[in-house]
Formats: sequence, C-alpha cells, structure tokens
Amino acid sequence: MNVRNSSLGRKLRRSAVTVVATLTAVTLAACGGGADEATKADGPVTIKVWAWYPSFQGVVDLFNKTHTDIKIEWTNAGAGQDQYTKLQTALKAGKGAPDVAMLELQEIPTFQLTKHLVDLGKYGANDVKSNYVDWAWKQVSTGDSVYAIPVDAGPMALLYREDIFQKYGLTVPATWDEYKAQAEKLKSASGGKSFITDFGASDGGFLTGLQWQAGAKPYTYDIADPGTISVAVNNAETKKVLTYWEGMVNAGLADTTAYGTTDFYNGLASGKYATYIAAGWGPGYLQSVAKTTSGKWRAAPLPQWTAGADAQGDWGGSSFAVTDQTKHPEQAATVAKEIFGATNTDAWKIGIDEAYLFPTATPILESDAFMKKEYEFFGGQKVNEVFVPAYNAIGEFAWSPFNSYNFNQLTTGLGQAIEKKTSWTAAIDTAQANIAQYATQQGFKVQ
Amino acid sequence: MTEVQTKSAAAAPAAAGPAPAPANKRRHWREAATGWLFVLPFAVLLVAFLLLPMGYALKLSLYRSTLVEGEVFAFLDNYQQAFDDPLVREGVVRVLLFGLVQTPLMIGIALVAALLIDGATSRFSRVFRLAAFVPYAVPVVIGTLMWGFLYSKETGPLSFDFLSSGVVLGSLGNIVTWQWAGYNMIVLYAALQGLPKEVYESARIDGAGAVQIALRIKTPMIASALILATLFTIMGTLQFFTEPLILQPLNPGAITQHYTPNLYAFHQAFSFQQYNYSAAISFLLGAVVFVGSYIFLFATRKRSALR
Repeated sequence: MNVRNSSLGRKLRRSAVTVVATLTAVTLAACGGGADEATKADGPVTIKVWAWYPSFQGVVDLFNKTHTDIKIEWTNAGAGQDQYTKLQTALKAGKGAPDVAMLELQEIPTFQLTKHLVDLGKYGANDVKSNYVDWAWKQVSTGDSVYAIPVDAGPMALLYREDIFQKYGLTVPATWDEYKAQAEKLKSASGGKSFITDFGASDGGFLTGLQWQAGAKPYTYDIADPGTISVAVNNAETKKVLTYWEGMVNAGLADTTAYGTTDFYNGLASGKYATYIAAGWGPGYLQSVAKTTSGKWRAAPLPQWTAGADAQGDWGGSSFAVTDQTKHPEQAATVAKEIFGATNTDAWKIGIDEAYLFPTATPILESDAFMKKEYEFFGGQKVNEVFVPAYNAIGEFAWSPFNSYNFNQLTTGLGQAIEKKTSWTAAIDTAQANIAQYATQQGFKVQ
Repeated sequence: MTEVQTKSAAAAPAAAGPAPAPANKRRHWREAATGWLFVLPFAVLLVAFLLLPMGYALKLSLYRSTLVEGEVFAFLDNYQQAFDDPLVREGVVRVLLFGLVQTPLMIGIALVAALLIDGATSRFSRVFRLAAFVPYAVPVVIGTLMWGFLYSKETGPLSFDFLSSGVVLGSLGNIVTWQWAGYNMIVLYAALQGLPKEVYESARIDGAGAVQIALRIKTPMIASALILATLFTIMGTLQFFTEPLILQPLNPGAITQHYTPNLYAFHQAFSFQQYNYSAAISFLLGAVVFVGSYIFLFATRKRSALR
C-alpha cells in the first residue's frame, strides 16, 4: 500500500517519529541518573546508607534529629547476598554505591580485597577502638587501618525447651559428649519423635561458628597482604566437629531440615527439636518464628569439647563500612561510628528491644538495660548473662576474601554428604581441594 | 483512500520499467525509508535489549577477571574451563535426561487432553479446558512455592519428603507438567479447531471410529502445532531454572547450586561475582539449545511446516 501522500501516511510517519523520540528520551533518562549530587553546597550533607536491620527507621530518625550537619538517607537494598550483589555491581561500575553500607563481618575481606572500603583509621576510628573487645575489633581492622565499625555480633549458646527437658528427665549438658548422651536419652524416651536439635548444614555461618568454637583456623589471611592466603578448610578441629555431627545425624539424634524453611519453624514450635544452637540474635529470632512456645525456652552456655573449658564461637554479626564512592568520607565515617555508637544508648534501645541485635560495644553490653533485661519468652530469664560472657570469650578468627564461595563449598559438600549418606570428612577434603584450586585460579599465592 | 489507490496504480508500471527515472528512484528510497521507520521502534529495542547485551556477554566470556589480578584477555580459557568442569557436565546431563522424559510425557498428556475435549463438546469439556489451563495463569514463583508446601514432609498431605535427592527431579518435573501441560493443550486444541470438519465426515463414512479419527486423522493434521509445542518444550527444559531456584532453600543438599547449567551460571555471576565464567557457560548453554532445537527440526522436517 502506498500511503506517502495521504493524511493517514503523514500521521503514521509523525507518530513513528514520536515513538522513536520518546524511546530515545527514556533510554537517555535511564542512563543519566545520579549526576546531580554534591552540587548542593549549603545545608546538611546527605549520606546514603544501605542496611537491612529490622526497625532501622527509628535509628535513622534519631540520628537525623541529633545531627544538624549530616542527613542520613536510608535504603533497604535487600538482606545479605541480595545487597552484596547490588553493592559489588555498583562498586565495579564506579557509581551507584551508597556512602555507608552494612556488611556482615565475614564479608569485610571480600570487599576490602577489591579496595572499595575507605580506611576509617584516617578519620578517627581508632579513637573508639577501646569500646570493643579485641577479637571483634580485629574482625574489622588490621593494624591502624580500620575498614568498618562493628555493630552487632552472634556469640553462641544453647537454647533449650525446659518443658521437654523436664518431661524426659534430661539435664543441661556442659560438654558435647553429655549433649550426645542427652540426645540418645531423648530419642528413646520420646520414641524417636523428638530430636535433640536440627543441624543446619545449609547455613555457612552456623557451621563456621561451631568450627570457630573448636579452635579451627580454616584460613590464614591478612588484609595487609592481600595476595597470599593459606587454606586449611579440612583442618583437624573442623574434622572433629564434623565427625561428631555426622555421628549425631546418622544415629538419628539430630535432624537435617534446612534452616529458614517452614518445616524448620514448625519443628521449633511443635517440640520436635528440644534444643536450638543459637547466636546472640537467636532469642529475638526464635521469639518471632515460634511465638506459641513463649515461656518454655531457657538459655545455657554452649557445650564444650573439654570439660571446664570456655571456648566460644561467633555466628553472624555486622558492621558499617564506608565505600570509596563517597564524596564526604569524614561525614560518612561519623555516620558509621555514631549511628549505633558505643555511647548511643537511645539507638541501642531500639536495637535491643525492637531489632534484637546483640551489641558489640562494651559500654552497651555491660549496661543494665542489656545485661539485666528479662525475657518473657525465656520465662523471665536474663539470657544475656549467658551470651555476654560467651561474647567476651570468643577467640580470633580470619575469613577468606571469597567467603560466598567458601560458604557454598561447605554447605554444598555437607548437604550432598547428608543426602547421599557419604562421609562428611571426605566432603570437607573435597571442599579443601576445590577452594585451594579456586584461590589459585583467582591469582592468590596459596600456601 | 481513493487517492492512495490511484497513485499506487499509476506508480506500478513506472517502477517496472527498464530504466526508472531519477524521481522514481528517490520515491523508492523514500518508500524504503518509511518502511525502516516503521521497523525502527522494534529494531531499537532489539539492539538495545538483546543484541548489545549479547555482544557484551560475548566480550565478557572472552576475558577473565580474577580477584587479585583484575581483568585480563583469556580468549577461550573460560570455555575450556566450562568443558572441563564436572559440575557443568552434571547439570547438562541432568537437563538432557529431564528433557528426554519430560518432553514426550508432557506433550503426550497435552495431546490426549486436547483430543478428548475436541471429541466431546459437553459442558464438562469446557470446565476441564479451563481447569487444565488455570495452572499456566498462576505465576511460576507462586505455583512452585505452593508445590513446595505440598512436597513438605511436615505440611504436605502425604508425609513424604518429595525433595530428597532420589526423587527430586521427578518432583520438579511434576511441577513443570502441572504448569505447562494445560498451555500446550490449548495450543493443540486451537489447531484441532481449525481443521475442516468434512474430513471427519468422510472418514466416518469410510468406517473409522472415534479413536481412529483421533489417531489417524486429527493427530497427523496438527503435526506442525505438535512440533512447535515440542520445540518450545525442549527449549524450556534445557533452560530449566525457576523451579529449582525457588525450591533450593528447602533442600540445598539435593538441589545444589549447579543443579542445572542455567542455575550454575546464575550463581557464578550473582553469588560469586564470576561474571566472565558465567557468560561462557551461558553461551555454551545457548549453543546446546540451538543445536538441540536444530536437530529436532531437522529430524521432523517432513512433518512440519517450519522448514
């Protein structure tokens, strides 16, 4: 059809041009964002923060109310890996990253390796060092270089169902051997209906916390010498832990339902699991996923490998780091230091009572508001009297700068070993080989 | 409109002449330009959202970015690595097996259902047609989550763990069948509706029963629709991704991060920041899908109209 000179033709041509012009405009607009910052000279400096703490809005409002020169603009960019993926992409792209980002402790070497974290030591971070215990400070720093300010942590303890313990005449175990003995007792007394616990083979942080307690050192790595790493994922302590739990699982004493699933929550609420090996944030978590069991739980120190010892591990915990894309490093450092600062009791009131964070700063930890807080869910027990000493007894631990790969190797290896009923220690040997090969491929000098 | 018709009628003999005048040449060019202008919105989208990203992915797959050394040109190293990677191989073997079982099963169910509702035009067949199609209208994520609850040992009706490593592939196949069989059925049913009814009549006069008509008349006559549905199913099974991704947290020991090649590529990119390796795996998978589809089309070229 020839439509060149008809009015219809002209209309069509014009609308085609409009469509193209609109498309171009949309494309250009999509590409051009983010160039209008830092032009406002007056007024407070805006600091963009990415974090996924619960009840965080109150903490942000509090900060903005008490600071006239800085204004926090908070975004929840997803929890854990979701945020890290966005952050890695933005950092690699050279724009779009926030000034301050929440990072879990195990992720700091990963982000520091690509040199995207600002050394806060240059902005007075070492002034607050005395507020933190040694192991926690070492998680975020090397020498005088500080790459993040710790916020919360996850010292481990044993949460148990007092009603079930009473019903079956179980005693609170002090060692892992006693724990196994109680598990056997529970299995026969309950006719195999109850398990002593659910072993979270799908949770890298949980697996690492148990190894940490046993004194395992899977990696030797210092941010100060980023090209060299020693990999000992299949060390003797790790194998001891895995052999113990392999025995527990194979004997039907511990369940292996993946953490964070409906079946897991049901198990916690129904009494299928008599204990839950938890971290400092666990009491709040348990309270939200197993509401109906309020008043039935108690906290006890984590069982020990050697009777009378006080070895502890950490599962989870986070910090605030400043990215290299910030135009206001000084103000960003202030945000990182003060938003959940060691003397910021108002912010921590929200953090403790609403977000159920376990603080890392000693002044907050030792305050009556935290230490003496009674938890109704735990029958009025002051559970932090269990968690705080555990926190103080945690030893040093080094993460690899490729932690997601590390966690994946651990969880995939163990998950498959459980599914196929093969040896767990063989699985960790495979993980060691894979990780060493991966590290070499990534250009590390592997020792 | 009359003006348009006369003009084009006048233009036709001139354009067909041996030596077109310069005016006609210009007119021809303007016609072509108008055509291109119409195609432009699509072309812009195609280039911006398909060809450019693909080109970028191809470039990515030829480089290697290591944590310590940064980005270096690696040529085919990533492809070599993918070929040697037992996890890639495991995933490819799994989706091939999945496709071999899933494709005939699902197309078979869809064909039988389509023939049945085509044969019987009762109220029941209309209800059944809708019921079989409904799963396709449920978003994949929602449908999969729902099946996740049904498969659970605790919340499911059968108290059996459908996600343990021995049966998980079958369980995933069941979700896919539930989701897509109805869709394929509608495609085949639509093709059946387009057939001339006289053929059935003459077959009936020749003494053919309902089953014979279904198998020997209807089925061969909708061969091209069948082949199209099969082709899409083959492509879909080779790119198997969403269902295992969503059910992964329920049993990560059985549904591993390398369960299918697509899933593996996804995790390489978004869990481990191995964008280069991920791009290479994606291109290899793309090649497998292309070759697989081509083999199928070649093998069925006599039956299909898609030559």
